[in-house]
Amino acid sequence: MPIFEGLKLAFREIASHKLRSFFTLLGIIVSVGFLVAVVAIIQGMNAYVRENVAGAIVGKNAFQIRRTPISVGFIDDEEWRELQRRPPIESADAQFVTRAIPDAQAIALQSGWPTPQADVRWGNRTVADVLVFGVTAPFQVVQDYEMEAGEALSEVDVRERRPVVILGFDVAEKLFDNFNTAIGQRVRVAGTMVTVKGITKAKGTVLGQSWDGFAMLPLPVFEAIYGRRLTTVISVKMTEAFMVAGAMERAEEAMRIAHGLRPNDENDFTIDTAEGLISFWEQLTRVIFTVVPAVVVIGVVVGGIVIMNIMLMSVTERTREIGIRKSVGAQQRDIQRQFLAEAVTLATLGGVLGILAGGGLAAMVAVLSPMPARVTPWSVGVALSLGTGVGILFGVVPARRAAKLDPIEAMRAEQ
Amino acid sequence: MTDTIIEVRNLTREYQMGAELVRALRGVDMSIYRNEYVAIMGPSGSGKSTLMNMIGCLDTPTEGEYWLNGLEVSTMGDDALARVRNREIGFVFQTFNLLPRASALHNVELPLIYAGVSGRTRREHASGALSRVGLSDRVDHRPNELSGGQRQRVAIARALVNEPSILLADEPTGNLDSTTSEEIMTVFEELHAQGQTIIMVTHEADIAAHAHRVITLRDGRVHSDTKKAA
Ligand SMILES: Nc1ncnc2c1ncn2[C@@H]1O[C@H](COP(=O)(O)OP(=O)(O)O)[C@@H](O)[C@H]1O
Ligand SMILES: [Mg+2]
Repeated sequence: MPIFEGLKLAFREIASHKLRSFFTLLGIIVSVGFLVAVVAIIQGMNAYVRENVAGAIVGKNAFQIRRTPISVGFIDDEEWRELQRRPPIESADAQFVTRAIPDAQAIALQSGWPTPQADVRWGNRTVADVLVFGVTAPFQVVQDYEMEAGEALSEVDVRERRPVVILGFDVAEKLFDNFNTAIGQRVRVAGTMVTVKGITKAKGTVLGQSWDGFAMLPLPVFEAIYGRRLTTVISVKMTEAFMVAGAMERAEEAMRIAHGLRPNDENDFTIDTAEGLISFWEQLTRVIFTVVPAVVVIGVVVGGIVIMNIMLMSVTERTREIGIRKSVGAQQRDIQRQFLAEAVTLATLGGVLGILAGGGLAAMVAVLSPMPARVTPWSVGVALSLGTGVGILFGVVPARRAAKLDPIEAMRAEQ
Repeated sequence: MTDTIIEVRNLTREYQMGAELVRALRGVDMSIYRNEYVAIMGPSGSGKSTLMNMIGCLDTPTEGEYWLNGLEVSTMGDDALARVRNREIGFVFQTFNLLPRASALHNVELPLIYAGVSGRTRREHASGALSRVGLSDRVDHRPNELSGGQRQRVAIARALVNEPSILLADEPTGNLDSTTSEEIMTVFEELHAQGQTIIMVTHEADIAAHAHRVITLRDGRVHSDTKKAA
């Protein structure tokens, strides 16, 4: 019997027992849905953290002055409203800070959250979803960027609003075959023509995300493309670690003056380093990625055992049918294939429903929380192969039992 | 007319029932020739069904030989027997043995599915077989939408569809009233007239009267074997 016939039979059988099939599959649906949803949510949170931390990742011996904290933890409504009332950080603030910390190695301004993503285009090549920053020249010092090719942004580039761009290593690598000839090329960033001035050395990955997928524009050029952002971020870098704490105190004082706060007023800005957040996030991700597979495996195995039992029950119920089929010439492998096809179809259906459920859950999280949840293709792949694998694994026993039935005895069975 | 289809030598079948050994067949010898119409008779428990199952390749003998079209079937394994059933044998049972949730057409298609015949040819052959038994207008009916006689006709169509070298029927009218039984006998006679070799089990003399040769079993042995003058 061809596979196709087996699948047709399987679908007919499943369709004639819809409710039973659904309950049979509940274990698989829940496990697979859980997997897809959790992966989607974690990926979403990763993206969220990346987007936040992308602007906030603080160079060595550095801190940031931000409108809102970098945290992604729980924020209650009262706090949220307070954060919404805060004034933006502006370049005027930066002047106060600069005056207060004359011993700073570098003080930079950069575009604030949310960091936009855009296509970068050269000729017919396109790199999609590149993080686009607007920065002042000292930002490159704060972040310890080194140049792979070309030159860094200069004070003059920023002041003169020159249409130039510094590309992250990854972006440049995807765009150009040769870095040396890349310098001076004109590329489109979010549709605007700019000249490649430099390419940074690779920084590697942070939080499992590449740290080199960006395009860095002079702040005024950035603002010309995206409009004035709600806020900017001030980064301050000190030469030695021990100087950071003192500098943060002076920055706080300067910001209170800049914002005209009275002695009893709360700060309407945040001075932060991102290290705590990052290490917390890395730990959390690690824990989740060890716990989730264990839970999913247990769920899928339980789901598989349920499928096996239902299939065994189905073999018993359909003993007579099997006898009839064998009596007209079905061989063992025909019967085995029929029941295996049914188990696999059933379990794969469970995988698909699980993906839909997980995707739905993730979409709900995305709507109801600030986290963007993203269903990743690999989790869908894993979910599908889990379903199919479980069907094969737990379908074999019932299928073999059915195949080995004696035709005469089977035809005598009650129906 | 001496073309041998079935050759059975010392066919023996024993069942172990706990401590007891049931000897259903105790050494049957017989030959069946092409285009014969044979009735097997005998009292209940004499081994008729056991013999038919053996001839139909649904069961294998404890002892003895069974040759079908020159092939020794008695030593074959499960899958080889299934292939023989599929190609050489059409079996009609007393209880019809149709798939209850499948249409008449699909029931008749079944042997062709396992013969690997493609969908379109399958449907053509199956509806051809259904019209041979006079059921062209019932192809989409399910067994429970058909009368007993019609169900048995579907079963006969299924037995015929792979053009078997032999048609076996174990008490095909056992569940039918006498009028319907006669209709079924008419179908068998027509098939026989078209050249089909038929072996039919019955314990009713008037049904056996349709056959041209009557073999009687008693206690698992051939008791008598009489041919009607043609
Ligand atoms: N599967 C079986 N297990 C045990 N005994 C059986 C089995 N099948 C048939 N028999 C016994 O074999 C004998 C012949 O049975 P059967 O061939 O069905 O007789 P008939 O069809 O002539 O009525 C009976 O005594 C019956 O009880
Ligand atoms: Mg019988």
